[in-house]
Amino acid sequence: MRRIAEILLLLHWFNLLSVEGTRYSLPGKPTLTRCRSPEKETFTCWWEPSFDGGLSTTYALYYCKENSDTVHECPDYHTAGVNSCFFNKNNTSIWVNYNITVVATNALGSTFSDPVEIDVVYIVMPHPPENVGVTVLEDKGWPFLRLSWEPPHKVDTRSGWITLIYELRVKLEEETEWEMHLAGQQKMFNIFSLRSGGTYLVQVRCKPDHGFWSEWSSTTSIKVPDYFQRERSVWVMIMVSSAFIFLIITWLIHINSHSLKHYILPPVPGPKIKGFDKQFMKDGKSEGFFCDLVSIHFPATTTPNDEDLLVEYLEVCVPEEQELKMEDKGEDGCPKSESSTSDCDSGRGSCDSQTLLIDKCFKRVAPGLDIECSQTGTGANEIQDSPDVSSGRVKTWPSVYSPLSQHPVDLMHSLDKSKQHCLSDTLFPSDSSCPYHSHPDHSTNDNPDSTYWKFCFNNKQRLLLRPQMETQWQPHAYSEVNISATVRSSDYVEAHNISDENTVVLHSVSSSHDDREGTGYKYQGEDYSHVQRVGSDNVLMLQRGLMKEPVDTGTSDTSPITRNQKPTVCNETTLSVNGPAANGYVDTATMFIKPTQD
Amino acid sequence: MNNSLTHVMLCSVCTAPVCTNAQVGCHAVSLNNLFDRIIQHSAKMHRVSNDLHQQFELHVLPSRNQVGRGGHICHTSTIMTPNGKENAQRMAREGLTQVILQLLMAWTDPLMNLHHSSTNVSVDMSSMVGELRRGVQRLAEKMHTLGLLTDPDSSVVSPEALMTSHPVPWRLMNLYDILYCFRRDSNKVHNYLRILKCRIVPEHGC
Repeated sequence: MRRIAEILLLLHWFNLLSVEGTRYSLPGKPTLTRCRSPEKETFTCWWEPSFDGGLSTTYALYYCKENSDTVHECPDYHTAGVNSCFFNKNNTSIWVNYNITVVATNALGSTFSDPVEIDVVYIVMPHPPENVGVTVLEDKGWPFLRLSWEPPHKVDTRSGWITLIYELRVKLEEETEWEMHLAGQQKMFNIFSLRSGGTYLVQVRCKPDHGFWSEWSSTTSIKVPDYFQRERSVWVMIMVSSAFIFLIITWLIHINSHSLKHYILPPVPGPKIKGFDKQFMKDGKSEGFFCDLVSIHFPATTTPNDEDLLVEYLEVCVPEEQELKMEDKGEDGCPKSESSTSDCDSGRGSCDSQTLLIDKCFKRVAPGLDIECSQTGTGANEIQDSPDVSSGRVKTWPSVYSPLSQHPVDLMHSLDKSKQHCLSDTLFPSDSSCPYHSHPDHSTNDNPDSTYWKFCFNNKQRLLLRPQMETQWQPHAYSEVNISATVRSSDYVEAHNISDENTVVLHSVSSSHDDREGTGYKYQGEDYSHVQRVGSDNVLMLQRGLMKEPVDTGTSDTSPITRNQKPTVCNETTLSVNGPAANGYVDTATMFIKPTQD
Repeated sequence: MNNSLTHVMLCSVCTAPVCTNAQVGCHAVSLNNLFDRIIQHSAKMHRVSNDLHQQFELHVLPSRNQVGRGGHICHTSTIMTPNGKENAQRMAREGLTQVILQLLMAWTDPLMNLHHSSTNVSVDMSSMVGELRRGVQRLAEKMHTLGLLTDPDSSVVSPEALMTSHPVPWRLMNLYDILYCFRRDSNKVHNYLRILKCRIVPEHGC
């Protein structure tokens, strides 16, 4: 009975306890979470309390040093915050083991934590570095960041007590990944390869030899200024170099344009018109006394070498002396002449240079401008002591003259064909082929406005012209050429006579004259050139003018050949023309053919 | 006389003449350079001892709370070493140098024995200690010739005289104690050398 009452009483007491809703117990076991020393001179330990068991619980920390049984209590519970114990300098010994225990006590009892042994040397965790400074510097125009910092102020590195190593991290503001750099013991660091205009964030931390890394310092940001000019200079250089390469390629193509053109677009064979000079037509320097080759005189006759018109041409070769004299006179603009008269190369090409020569040389009184003509296929015959050397070449269709070698009297015909502004058509005597030179002794009017052209004079430097009026050509009787003739642009002039003063009388040949047989030349042209004068330096000055008089070559006693064909053969005999100078026309062909007849 | 005797005693283990003013045939090492080399050597020694101890704790003593962990008795505990910054800075150069040499001398034999007897430890740390000791001795000689060690009373005593003052024979220490104590002592040596350097040649890296 009594026992049952005791049991009931106990149950009631327990019930009372449970009714209140609490259960008291010993406090839970606290745990020491960590102990840290910021400068190896003091340290702090923190613990984590457990459940308090329903009653107020107090915590105490006890420690004992190595090899000593004396138990000490924590000297400072407050400096480092709650649940902490701070050991100041006096209580801190380095290279000494501390055995630390935390005790939780409540009304019911105490609970001891697990002991922890620490040596302060190995629990050093400094504060973050201080005064982190970032500046932007330049290295040869390229920017870089210079970072500098100081150790935390509590850490004594100056006496060598603690040696710190540093680490930093950098990133752009918009990036997510940091770029780590180990800086060692130095307190300065350079970062290169920056993005211009970007904002960089920098952080630094430190660690003693054997210890823990500090927390990262507060973020320092810096904006790199725009160095677009530096980066742009690279683009500028790239553009300039590519433009330069493009220019070089263009120039190379231009240099080789002719060959490239021939390679890509083979040239169409040109018109096989004897005496047709496209270049001259383009230049538009017909000046009235060169016929429009297209409109007149398509000689039906063909020569055996028709098919090679493109490569064959007639050249007037100039003897050396004339060349020298020429050079002395200081020609300008005249193409360079070759003294070699043996250059009867058939592969000379077009008559362009001839035209050029004519044009340029017509600009002024050039003494003894020699025109070189060379006959293709035939050997060049040197003309001796020709004082004047033409500075240019007159090229005509050599095929025109090729038959002349067999038929020297075909000059008329060839002259007709060549149609050359070239009075400088060479006349090829039967025995001699090439070269002759302009007459140096003829005086010409130095009138740049006048139209004049050059003659191929014989080596005796006398132009033999037969006056138009005369029917008789007396090639050897002429001592001088007196030229005064005007020829229509579509006409050409033939030498009328040569006066004693070396004046060549020229008169135009009638353009309508198609009959080459026997009647000689009769050109009834509106315009033909008057030969104003023949200069002393072998320049024939012609004047553009109108000449309405029909002219009659009057070469009745000349050989048919001479009438029908242009005298294009220069021979070495002198030509002299007598007769009235006015209104005469010069037909160089006829003029030159004269001597051959004799 | 006194100085010369001390000099002879200091040079008892010397193998090279002491150079003064860059004599011919003798490459004079600057004090700063000597300090750097010694400190590098001691750092390496401490690194090795630290690794050994950690390996031992990791594999041989997995539980950190085992009995025997606390209360290490090191045979070098009788050597009076400063255990704080103020104490170390208060100590004279000669005293510091002497402590360093004493520590290094105390560990030559135990480590040699450890290397020969124990199969767990393959690194011969005794040679490292011996080299460091010779370096520190050379340093002391140089400082003495330079006049930096001026106190004759606290001149560096012959290291051999220190060998007999160990109360605790090191042969009684177990492997774990040896590793623990050596780790600590190498840290001490390293720290003392750094303090000495920053006191004597502070312009580089202090």
